[in-house]
Amino acid sequence: MATRGGTIGLVMHSPWSPDASDAQARMGEALAAVSRLPRERTQLLPGFLAAQEALGWLPRAAVEHVSEHTRVPVAEVYAIATGYSELRLTPPEPGAWYVCTGVACDMAGAGALLEATPDRTRAIDCQFLCALAPVVHDDAERLYGRVTAEDLQARLAEAAS
Amino acid sequence: MTRVSPTPALARLRGDFPPVGRARVLVHRGTCGNAVGAEAVAAALRASMPGAAIAEGACDGACWAAPSATVQREAHSHRFARLDRGIPDELAACLAGQCDDEYAGRGEYGLLERVGRNDGSFGDVIGRGAYGAAAMAATLRPEQVIEAVAASGLTGRGGAHFATAQKWRLAAQHTGQKYLVVNAEEGEPGVFKDRHLIEGDPHRLIDGILVACRAAGVDTVFVYVNGQARNARAAFERALEDARAQGILDGAAFGGDPVTVEVRSGAGGYVCGDESVILNSIEGQRPVPRYKPPFATDEGLWGRPTVVNNVETLCAVSTVFDSPPPPTKLIPLSGAVSRPGLYEVPIDGNTTWTGVLATAGSAPGLVPGILLGGPSGRFVTPEEYEVPLTMRGLGAGGAVVLPRDADIAEVTRSLAAYNMRESCGECTPCREGTQRLVQLLEDVPANRERIAALIETLTEASLCQLGGMAGRPVASALESFPEAFEE
Repeated sequence: MATRGGTIGLVMHSPWSPDASDAQARMGEALAAVSRLPRERTQLLPGFLAAQEALGWLPRAAVEHVSEHTRVPVAEVYAIATGYSELRLTPPEPGAWYVCTGVACDMAGAGALLEATPDRTRAIDCQFLCALAPVVHDDAERLYGRVTAEDLQARLAEAAS
Repeated sequence: MTRVSPTPALARLRGDFPPVGRARVLVHRGTCGNAVGAEAVAAALRASMPGAAIAEGACDGACWAAPSATVQREAHSHRFARLDRGIPDELAACLAGQCDDEYAGRGEYGLLERVGRNDGSFGDVIGRGAYGAAAMAATLRPEQVIEAVAASGLTGRGGAHFATAQKWRLAAQHTGQKYLVVNAEEGEPGVFKDRHLIEGDPHRLIDGILVACRAAGVDTVFVYVNGQARNARAAFERALEDARAQGILDGAAFGGDPVTVEVRSGAGGYVCGDESVILNSIEGQRPVPRYKPPFATDEGLWGRPTVVNNVETLCAVSTVFDSPPPPTKLIPLSGAVSRPGLYEVPIDGNTTWTGVLATAGSAPGLVPGILLGGPSGRFVTPEEYEVPLTMRGLGAGGAVVLPRDADIAEVTRSLAAYNMRESCGECTPCREGTQRLVQLLEDVPANRERIAALIETLTEASLCQLGGMAGRPVASALESFPEAFEE
């Protein structure tokens, strides 16, 4: 069954991993992107997406800034954020790759891909590239289609080096 | 078939963009092509054919062929498939004029006609029929536009099959601020048609949008694009910019009232298949369904009358003034076939699954069933392969062909689990029922009575069709493949 949460025990290159000043700069960028939007409730989701684009996920400070900017109470803003499966309220796992487990990918061997790379990949819901099943994406959401276990192992090795 | 004649205004605009005429290679660099190495193919083509005209466009729906490129010449086009395996000498020969006249692709006439056959520029589509419908609608009264759509018999292609003209008429009777929301959320596993339509021919969608606005008296449009469909959003925004620059949105080019279009991205949620969820999302409310009635055409965005149309529906609107409009439906086809991809099939009483399977490189004898409509769908069984396809029967059209050794019970459990994860939790029947359904499917043999009772509750009592249809694939699997649920 595909899930999004949990942890895996490895640290590799990731666009979101970081030194502190870098992280601070990205946070500044995220907050500024939110601030550029009109101060209206209708900009809640655009605000989340702008912050997530810059940070890779939505830390508490970003959610609070969206709340302040749109003048919607923060509790309500959190409730709304949790309603969207693609908004990430926990940081992404560095270096994790994702195997699509939609119906077509499932039948085309997504399970075998996950088994072949148990520590490195996680299951994810349909990526809508069903005609190229099985499909995986890397930690920067770059998609790969018609993936075999050997391909995936090679790509993971390349990403780690 | 006769295409709508260009209005004088459109003819003038087209005159500004003379056809290029030169033969070229169009590399298909849509989301699918890029996922299987189209970038490297484009580089290899450029290196091996210096000086040749090499352009880039979106995918043409032949996902099985990706990465691919099409040689386009004045007389005909020829697609070269699987260029990751090497670039054949025939490609350069074809560009030089020596290739057989067989076109290996589809989209001869219909919604895919320009998809993956243009380089994304305005000049490349305006001479090939783009904006024929919007220009025509601008010369007609709104009632006449609605009548034309009613006469075409167009119904919603998102799955609900509601008469498009009727929806517009309901909104048109209201005065004051009205909205059009374009549902490009497309979050159903197995469905990838709207992405292809937008990536490959975004101007067709704008064409349809302008007709809808004219008919329903709308001046403000929100296009709500699936959050993962980034390339589709980017292509649409580029097209919108071009259309704006050509005076197509403000009425300068064809006449008609100005229209403003805003693009929004979603962030996941199969539940967005219910249009009221998208309305809540745009307003900045929780993404959950609203009680109906009132329907959106009476009280939609911010309480104002709102038309919600699916991408394929609006793309089909761009053909309603042709005579006759192409009676085609897009079928995103995946699974156990040798040529998976996006197919456009005529719904004319002659098309059957047998024919579709043959085109996609399979045969009825190899296929125990077809999952039609994903987690809200059902299983089509071999007895139905010869029955002519209908628009209503196809729903959104997503078809996953099952392999001979398919584990039906496992597929069914995975669909039920998907509905459980995607349930928004707003109503109890769906929130609790989808979980219970997953649990019941763990039992072998299946307790049919309890499952049937639960499905009845889900169907009758859920707030929206996510819950309402969640039992459908389960009931269908139990009926068509009873042995899969025995010991």
